[in-house]
Amino acid sequence: MKPAPFAFERPRDLAALLDRLAEVEGAVKLIAGGQSLGPMLNLRLVEPGLVIDITGIPELRQARLDGDSLVLGACVTHADIEDGRVPDVTGGAMARVASAIAYRPVRNRGTVGGSLVHADPAADWVTALTALGAEVEIAGRSGRRRLALEDFVTGALDVALEPGEILAAVRIPALPPSAAWGYVKHCAKLGEFAHAIGAVRLEPGAGTGRAVIGAIERAPLLFADARPLFGGRIGADFAGRFDAAAADAALRSAGMADPVDRHVHVTVLARAVAQAARPAAHPAPVTSQRLIEAA
Amino acid sequence: MSALMADPSRDQRMPVGLTVNGRQIRARVEPRTHLGDLVRDSLDLTGTHLGCEHGICGACTILLDGEPARACLTFAGACEGASVTTIEGLDDDEIAGELRAAFNREHALQCGYCTPGMLVAARDLVLRLPEPDERRIRAGLSGNLCRCTGYVGIVRAVRGVIADRRARGIPAGGQGGERGDERGGDKRGLGPVGARIGTAATAAARTPLAQPVQASAPAAAPVRAEIAPDFRPAQSFAQDFSVSHPPEAVFALFGDVAAVAACLPGAVLSGAPSSDRVEGGLEVRIGPISALFRGRARIERDEAARSGRILGAGSDAGGRSTTEGEIRYRVGPGTVPGTAKVELAVGYTLKGPLAQFGRPGLVRDLAGRLTAEFARNLEARLAGKPAPEAAPGLNPLRLLLDLLRARWAAWRGRS
Repeated sequence: MKPAPFAFERPRDLAALLDRLAEVEGAVKLIAGGQSLGPMLNLRLVEPGLVIDITGIPELRQARLDGDSLVLGACVTHADIEDGRVPDVTGGAMARVASAIAYRPVRNRGTVGGSLVHADPAADWVTALTALGAEVEIAGRSGRRRLALEDFVTGALDVALEPGEILAAVRIPALPPSAAWGYVKHCAKLGEFAHAIGAVRLEPGAGTGRAVIGAIERAPLLFADARPLFGGRIGADFAGRFDAAAADAALRSAGMADPVDRHVHVTVLARAVAQAARPAAHPAPVTSQRLIEAA
Repeated sequence: MSALMADPSRDQRMPVGLTVNGRQIRARVEPRTHLGDLVRDSLDLTGTHLGCEHGICGACTILLDGEPARACLTFAGACEGASVTTIEGLDDDEIAGELRAAFNREHALQCGYCTPGMLVAARDLVLRLPEPDERRIRAGLSGNLCRCTGYVGIVRAVRGVIADRRARGIPAGGQGGERGDERGGDKRGLGPVGARIGTAATAAARTPLAQPVQASAPAAAPVRAEIAPDFRPAQSFAQDFSVSHPPEAVFALFGDVAAVAACLPGAVLSGAPSSDRVEGGLEVRIGPISALFRGRARIERDEAARSGRILGAGSDAGGRSTTEGEIRYRVGPGTVPGTAKVELAVGYTLKGPLAQFGRPGLVRDLAGRLTAEFARNLEARLAGKPAPEAAPGLNPLRLLLDLLRARWAAWRGRS
């Protein structure tokens, strides 16, 4: 259970990191909090020749507002979000998601950027931030580009980073008070990777909404236009209009053959819809709430 | 420990300075040395226990800059300048003292293996929870496994300490904290605890890049015996794809083992295959994980039914992960005349560390991507065109180069 030997570097700024990535040969792995990569290194599932620690880079440890959007550096931790050390643009939604990720010692080091780049399909941020309409900021030597999170996560543990690029920041658009938000995950044991995740971000006033079914062992299934899940219309009565058969059909055509698996995922999505319809009944903290949700 | 046995000509150790239980220490550590090994093996602080070493059991939980963290998932070299508190450093801590008395009173331990980590996690709950809410205490202790007590005594002990302290007028630490509360008003910067923002000292931390470990010659890699006659797959799934060529042409190509291997990303043959036997390797990549399976397969074909069966067994380079599997295929007519539909039924069993991580769905996702690429290559080959350029990470040519260079696979630097 000890990693194979590797060399270690800790660049001081982003430019040094990008220069180093451009010149170094062989198997290089970036590490932030190390809560996903660490187990893989310890199990020797991953044996890089060089590990580059990016947590010394000041820019990656900042959070700021850009208009209505929250911009989180890649090395901001789940605990930073849980504890409110970053601005809140989602009415506490992100803090509730963060508070239920794994365990507190993991949240104290695990980062939002690391989680997205690792792209475990069962991880919380992959699904929650897709539902919130987040974008990632990718930095390379030739400049920066932005990508919608649904285009960034291309498969299980697979993302659209080119060689030499890193995920520098995540941009989360504000969740207006008029929006209805629901996020439910199902775990057999508290803190483990989810077996099913459902997330909805609906704007009944505007008649629009997004829905995501996550933890399906591939990139999350996004309904960029969630109206088909609600009989074609999203209104104030959306909770009663949720169409489980439409969600089931979407999962079937996404290749989920097992009816029991589909039932679990549709049920969890239905619970997320129900939660969105009565947010007052779901106050923080989600850590205790989730025991009920998962039951 | 390997740090002590390291070849001096390839000394990769790096200096690190830490404050451990209030004492300044300087040590030379290998980059792979985690905090748990450092405190136990170099500082004789054996109160920190190592259980699973992959972040699940919680036995190694320590305080890093005052906050709980997994020692087994924190490399010491990444923590230059940090403050580490192990269970030994909590001897005179007021809350830890109250917890020890409560654990004693409530029979909250038996073998004691989980107790150091449990006390660190419990202390954090005493600091953070405003009330002795059993549900939140249980949720908060869910990252610390105890196999003796059933948790009842532990939960009662933590509840008792929180209730007692709140009754004495000591509030939980707020966010950022106020003077007089449990946290004493310290402010935390953003980012992983224990990781300091770049200073000259940490920026200089560059260990020499390791010389690649010579790959064991592929021929010397253990080749697993053939698949057991009574093989029953633990996992199975079905896939299909269409090819714009007639079924007989597609089926004929499937009889050419070398051609099929050339279409399969990551596959390499060793020696010339016969029509019913093949030996070779398949490299699979799931995210940063890369494994090269080498083994043998038996091929059966039914000309009349245009179907076939491939049975194979293999193991990865270290021989730690093994797999047995079966692919049944059938080539039928496609929806449009002159086209074919290929149906695949895949069954496999995976054992070893890769199985510990490789959740069945991830393998299915990988197989889906492999199949799509196989279908594209097959299409090109049947059309007499060169195979389209393989997606990064699935290129057999690059695989061979990698093998020559090292057994590290060239997955892209991420994370």
